[in-house]
Amino acid sequence: MKRIYIFKRFERFWHWSQAALIITMLVTGFEVHGSYDLLGFKTAVTTHTTAAWSLVWLWVFAIFWHFTTGEWKQYIPTTDKVAAMFRYYLTGIFTDAPHPFKQTRLSKHNPLQKLAYLFVLAVINPLIWITGWFYLFYNDWAAWGVDFLNLEYVAFFHVVAAFMMLIFVIAHIYLGTAGHTPTAHIKAMITGWEETED
Amino acid sequence: MNIPAKKIYRGLLLIGCFLASSVSANVAPAEPAAAAAASTAPAVVMVEETEARKSTSTADHSKFEELKKNFKNGPEVTKACLTCHTEAAQQVHSTKHWTWEFLNPATKQKLGKKNIINNFCTSVTSNQTFCSACHVGYGWSDDKFDFTSENNVDCVVCHDTTGKYKKLPGLSGHPNYEVMEWPPHSGKFREPTDLKTIAQKVGKTSRATCGACHFYGGGGDAVKHGDLDSSLKEPQKYLDVHMDAKGLDFSCGKCHLSDSHEVSGSRYAPTAVDDNGALMRGDKGDRNPTTCVACHGKAPHPPGTAAVEKLNSHTDKIACQTCHIPAYARGNKATKMTWDWSTAGKLDEEGHRIQKRGSDGNVIYDSKKGDFTFERYVIPEYVWFNGEVKFTLFGDKVDTNNVVKINEFQGSAGDPDSRIWPVKTFRGKQPYDVGNETLGVFHTAGGDDSAFWGNYDWDKAMAWGMKAMGVEYSGEMVFVETEMSWPITHMVAPKEDALKCDQCHRENGRLQNIGGVYMPGTNNTPMLDWLGYAAALMALIGVLIHGGIRYYMSKRG
Amino acid sequence: MKYIIGALAMLVLVAVIALTQAQNLMFNITPSPYGVEETAARIQENIQRMEGRGWALSGLRNPAAAVAASGSNVPPVLLVEACSTKYSGPLLKIENSRIYSILMPCTITVYKNDDGSTSIGTMNAGLMGWLFGISDIMDEVFADQQAFITFDPSRPAPPLIKGRPGGGGGDGKPEAGC
Repeated sequence: MKRIYIFKRFERFWHWSQAALIITMLVTGFEVHGSYDLLGFKTAVTTHTTAAWSLVWLWVFAIFWHFTTGEWKQYIPTTDKVAAMFRYYLTGIFTDAPHPFKQTRLSKHNPLQKLAYLFVLAVINPLIWITGWFYLFYNDWAAWGVDFLNLEYVAFFHVVAAFMMLIFVIAHIYLGTAGHTPTAHIKAMITGWEETED
Repeated sequence: MNIPAKKIYRGLLLIGCFLASSVSANVAPAEPAAAAAASTAPAVVMVEETEARKSTSTADHSKFEELKKNFKNGPEVTKACLTCHTEAAQQVHSTKHWTWEFLNPATKQKLGKKNIINNFCTSVTSNQTFCSACHVGYGWSDDKFDFTSENNVDCVVCHDTTGKYKKLPGLSGHPNYEVMEWPPHSGKFREPTDLKTIAQKVGKTSRATCGACHFYGGGGDAVKHGDLDSSLKEPQKYLDVHMDAKGLDFSCGKCHLSDSHEVSGSRYAPTAVDDNGALMRGDKGDRNPTTCVACHGKAPHPPGTAAVEKLNSHTDKIACQTCHIPAYARGNKATKMTWDWSTAGKLDEEGHRIQKRGSDGNVIYDSKKGDFTFERYVIPEYVWFNGEVKFTLFGDKVDTNNVVKINEFQGSAGDPDSRIWPVKTFRGKQPYDVGNETLGVFHTAGGDDSAFWGNYDWDKAMAWGMKAMGVEYSGEMVFVETEMSWPITHMVAPKEDALKCDQCHRENGRLQNIGGVYMPGTNNTPMLDWLGYAAALMALIGVLIHGGIRYYMSKRG
Repeated sequence: MKYIIGALAMLVLVAVIALTQAQNLMFNITPSPYGVEETAARIQENIQRMEGRGWALSGLRNPAAAVAASGSNVPPVLLVEACSTKYSGPLLKIENSRIYSILMPCTITVYKNDDGSTSIGTMNAGLMGWLFGISDIMDEVFADQQAFITFDPSRPAPPLIKGRPGGGGGDGKPEAGC
């Protein structure tokens, strides 16, 4: 076993605060949508809106960080070893087979992870951000000249994206336990240090 | 650890008990207060306007020579008024309070009490001697009334401050000048109206004078509108923040600004939306001063948090009244909700008129009128409304297989000039002349042989009524279901009592039938939800199975 | 360790169930086809018809009126109060059960919902009796209560009986039914 410093301080801060905000927005968002009654509609709306603005600011910093540090390259997808990763999750993981991907400081996401994050970045996020932005500024549609939009469709796609995000969160949390021990990845995300086989 | 199931259940119930008792403990303090209030609060006090309000006028009418005489009748009083107020009668002549006519400029429909048929007492024509108790004039008993007569204008009915002036049904707009039994057959007698005192104490209009007619629309207190009844004479704050007798104490005229006896505000051509902001004094133009916006402006909720901004931005879809009048008929009077004329005319075995009362004391059946229902604290119905109201008038063809809409509020979700408004919708069954294909007009009251209230004979009453409309009764009539609506705009509740977000933004909320607009929180994409939750659940099950296998395999080594 | 976790989990579960179910356990809510006044009046009529079982009306309260007097709006609510000496007597005789006078008179609430419908609320007398070991009496109260809120639509709407027909209770005069 070898310990390497994978996740830098800002990255960890970004990850966990983003996780908290996304879970908050899922909980309040589905209440605003009408799925259940938990905080009350008014509190759910204000909390959702506040969390959205917090996430906007967090992302401003995160984008800045990714570009100044060059970490954005971590998200460039690859098709290399994708099939091997699938095979590992479907069989190898049960029999303690060696992990097909070797984590390094320069490449901290496995190929499947890269694809998943790319999907989040390229599909879920644009959908949720764009629809969310129009949802938030519903009263300015006329002033923006976009009053051909229909809130029903905007809300529909916002909820579609929310469901995708919910599924991503479920898979993401589970795969967080798929390290060489169930808590290994989670510890790494907290301390920054990942233990890898050499 | 092994706890017997029964013990757990008991423990659970005890926790339940504790919670329940803490709930009741929260409620409890209100109780003694309720009892105290109930025992000390006086019965409804009818404040005599003279004593309660000191006149601020520069003229003491009791010092006027013209008024120091014993008037024989109303027109004599008016004649005296006109010696100083020379133009007043002519001003009144041009108002709908006098003409009972209104030409809707948008629809060109000829409206007004004289022309429309409602689903209460239905029609003025052929019943003027009774209906004209609420006419600002004297002597309107049939279609020969002289609408150019100045002395027949009734000044006092609006300017009385004594509360002693009453025009009684059947006297063609006159008060009683002789001793008269009232209500009929009650054994109670009204003294002749003291016109001299009343004339000497005239003053500004008040909630009491406007209310003398407008609180009693439809034939009784609170009956027609629901948001106007005698509890607004001296209302408490809970009932209306503006009219609150111990608070702002608005008179009707405070909002219904009047000029040259023309009173602003209309139910025939209401202002459903005004986006121009507060109305400044001296502002030229034809804007209606009787709107919420005219005083409160376009952003009535003081800016601050995002939640408050959201309230202000709701004004592009929702009329102020929708949130701020959460229910109408909130005073101690129930309003009439339905009127079924088709059951009228049933008599007891001896052939006498029957009257039945409901649990709340209101008449729910009367041989003269049929079946009624009443309700207090009524949740309004809601409609898209752009200010245009279309009426079904006499002679208009109607589809008798469907509910006939006596008036229909125009507007839609897509129309930027429409807002969601609260309305009272009154439903009933009323006569329809089959041969003439029109809503029926029938002769209701009068000493003659044809009045329905005298002989309970529909054909005779219809024949007379239709003739008064200039049409020969076809001889065949049926009862059709009708609906008529009024915007709810009075009885504005204190702001704490305005609707909360989730009274609309929830499943089966207040606006569930409004249509045409997407409302978050109403759970309105069931298909998507079903698919979404199924997918999320499958993901969850998938990872649990995957994890389970991992756990099992690791245990097995 | 496992047992402690198990017990804690059980406690949490019990608390959650209690929290969510307390209202359902302690009170029964029944819809009424009539308006608030008529429902209350029909309950009063039913109570009066059960005179044989010692029941009598002891009052009608309108808590909404007090709230209105304080400047606020609440939908109509009426509290119909009734008492039966047949049940109150035995409970009041015994020192240990005298505390249950706190449940007297028997109150039935009738209120209007936000959709305009009417609900009737009754205390779950059966559960009370079972919890406090006075099942013999409370089971009968429960059965009578059910009869109070069972309506005969063929009867005309009776007038609402306002005030406190049984006297004040607190003023030294005997309270009807109790």
